[in-house]
Amino acid sequence: MSIAVDAKDLVKQFGNIRALDGLTFQISQGEIYGLIGPNGAGKTTTLRIISTLILPTSGTIRIFNQDPVTQAAQVRKIISYLPEEAGAYPNLTGNEYLTFMAKFNTNNTEELKQMTEEAAKICGLGERLKDKAKTYSKGMKRRLLVARALMTQPKLAVLDEPASGLDVLHAYHVRQIIKNYVKQHGVTVLLSSHNMLEVEYLCDRVALINKGKIIVEGKPDSLKTQYKSANLEEVFAKVVGYA
Amino acid sequence: MLKGFNTILVKELKELIRDPKILIGMLVLPLVIFPVLGAVLGYASQTAIEQAQKATLLVVDNDQGNWSTTFINYLKSTGVKTTVINNTSPQQVVAQELLTKNNSTRFIEIPAGFSQNMTAHTNGNPAITATINVYGAFQGTSIFSDIGSTATNSIINSYNRVIAPDVLYTTQSTIIKGQIQKGIDPATLSGLMITQSIALPITIMIMLTYSMQIAATSVAMEKEEKTLETLLTVPVDRFAILMGKLSSTIIVAGIASVAVMIGYNYVLGSMTMGIPTATSINLVNLGLVPSAFGYFLLGISLFITLLSGLALAVIMSAFAEDVRGATALVGYIYPIIFIPAMALMYLDVNSLPMAVQAVFYAIPYSHPIIASKAVVLGDYLTVVLGIVYVAVFTIVIMYVASRLFATEKILTAKLRFKRRGIGKRQEQEE
Ligand SMILES: Nc1ncnc2c1ncn2[C@@H]1O[C@H](COP(=O)(O)OP(=O)(O)O)[C@@H](O)[C@H]1O
Ligand SMILES: [Mg+2]
Repeated sequence: MSIAVDAKDLVKQFGNIRALDGLTFQISQGEIYGLIGPNGAGKTTTLRIISTLILPTSGTIRIFNQDPVTQAAQVRKIISYLPEEAGAYPNLTGNEYLTFMAKFNTNNTEELKQMTEEAAKICGLGERLKDKAKTYSKGMKRRLLVARALMTQPKLAVLDEPASGLDVLHAYHVRQIIKNYVKQHGVTVLLSSHNMLEVEYLCDRVALINKGKIIVEGKPDSLKTQYKSANLEEVFAKVVGYA
Repeated sequence: MLKGFNTILVKELKELIRDPKILIGMLVLPLVIFPVLGAVLGYASQTAIEQAQKATLLVVDNDQGNWSTTFINYLKSTGVKTTVINNTSPQQVVAQELLTKNNSTRFIEIPAGFSQNMTAHTNGNPAITATINVYGAFQGTSIFSDIGSTATNSIINSYNRVIAPDVLYTTQSTIIKGQIQKGIDPATLSGLMITQSIALPITIMIMLTYSMQIAATSVAMEKEEKTLETLLTVPVDRFAILMGKLSSTIIVAGIASVAVMIGYNYVLGSMTMGIPTATSINLVNLGLVPSAFGYFLLGISLFITLLSGLALAVIMSAFAEDVRGATALVGYIYPIIFIPAMALMYLDVNSLPMAVQAVFYAIPYSHPIIASKAVVLGDYLTVVLGIVYVAVFTIVIMYVASRLFATEKILTAKLRFKRRGIGKRQEQEE
């Protein structure tokens, strides 16, 4: 199986804050890979480097053999990034937003239509897509944005805390979207979360990250067995030495 | 008393006063703008008066009688520097550029028959009066440009008082672009031009500030609504994002430029000022409106200046986190737009001291205003040089803006600044 993401010794320094301190991991094609860790662990920073938004201070990174540092334009064609805090244009309707975003990925009207229809189906907002985004609740907005990220069938979807801050129902819906979509289309997903249960439910493989370093990595089940824990929360507590 | 009103009022005031942006905008700016403006105006009037005192008054004596001699002697006795030439028609003075050669901007003609009329009047024939013809060269618009002509007129009037009331009358003429315009008082004309030259700077100020706000808002909106981060990861050229933002404001600004030109043309063309005694002044007939080419240059100057303002606004707003912050940041540019614009409403840039001139020329936003005055005088070189300068300035700014958009700075510029502060504090605590 080919390698979707290959990160080696990633370091990111913001002034005197070391956000990433030698991060190394690999994601295989078709995997859902989760970065979990507390706030400030470096999850967003990692995802932003992969998404060509910021540059690593040192280390190397390849997305399907392309370098986000030197080949940003190519990488942007094969990825889709959902920022941790993201919004839609308040004065555009949901449909207009989807069309606007889809146009960056295709010039073909037929494909454009397919993408937006797909997105409409994924987000499940129905008629509300005709309303302006400023009338949406936080959960509706998130569903719209998740659908936007997946509609282009990216080779790699980078989702930063896709369901955080949502109520149970919206969070559930978002997780369903991700899980179903990935199964159908074989998209590779890298997501971050501080919700251990969410990660356990969604991910094929997880990395526990703390203070810019990966402290353990593996399949949720094998981690639980290895650390003799009931869930990933316990694993994390044991590894960082709280328990 | 409204319950809770005081609590809210105090909190609101605290928040407002503690916000440095508001403090600077409301207090520091007015405290800076007006003294600076006052200093510039004071300086300019000082220079204008000094120049008027130093200037030579050219006296063309076409009479050469005993009265013209006493009149000239009277002029000299008041301390006016005079140069006397004989038997030259006003047309010849203009054609031979005698004013420039004598380092002067005005001359008086004592016409033939002057002594004869004076003698008749003083010998008991009060119906006969003598005339002196005053000519001033039109040099551009400045409230101080007529200091010299006012001085000349008051000397002539004082001569009246010495000899006999109502013996001496003056006619006023203005030399515009090498043509003598009879019956047009240079002071009235420059007054009229000033009234009109206020219209364009004010419009330019409003347009600049308004479109800069729009540009800043359009970038800050992306940050405030958290749409920028997504946009920066889709397959689109970063420069295209920047240009898209600029272009939409430019289109608005371009339409505005054309509208301003049309309106300005209308104001100049339609505005005539009636002088009670003589014919009305019509600027179009006097050649004091820009030519088609002049309008073209002025339009370009305006457009390119708008562009530079917009690009700067985009850069500045990249450092803000939200619309409010961006608006406040862009506000810091306003003094450098307002001070020259307000000063140039009343002053001719050439009448300013060298140092102030240099500052005004360095500020891109003064160029359309300088240009609006220069095109009237047919001084296209100044306008073209101004356009070139502002274009270079704009290109530099655009380059910086595109660099900014190409790097992570567009995302982290402000963030980094803030987090670093927190980081330091944390370190100290440890
Ligand atoms: N733009 C930035 N400027 C300065 N420091 C930053 C910036 N972005 C992130 N950091 C710092 O880097 C560390 C990791 O942050 P982040 O990657 O956002 O963590 P997470 O997403 O895991 O919560 C934190 O200490 C954060 O304060
Ligand atoms: Mg984060």
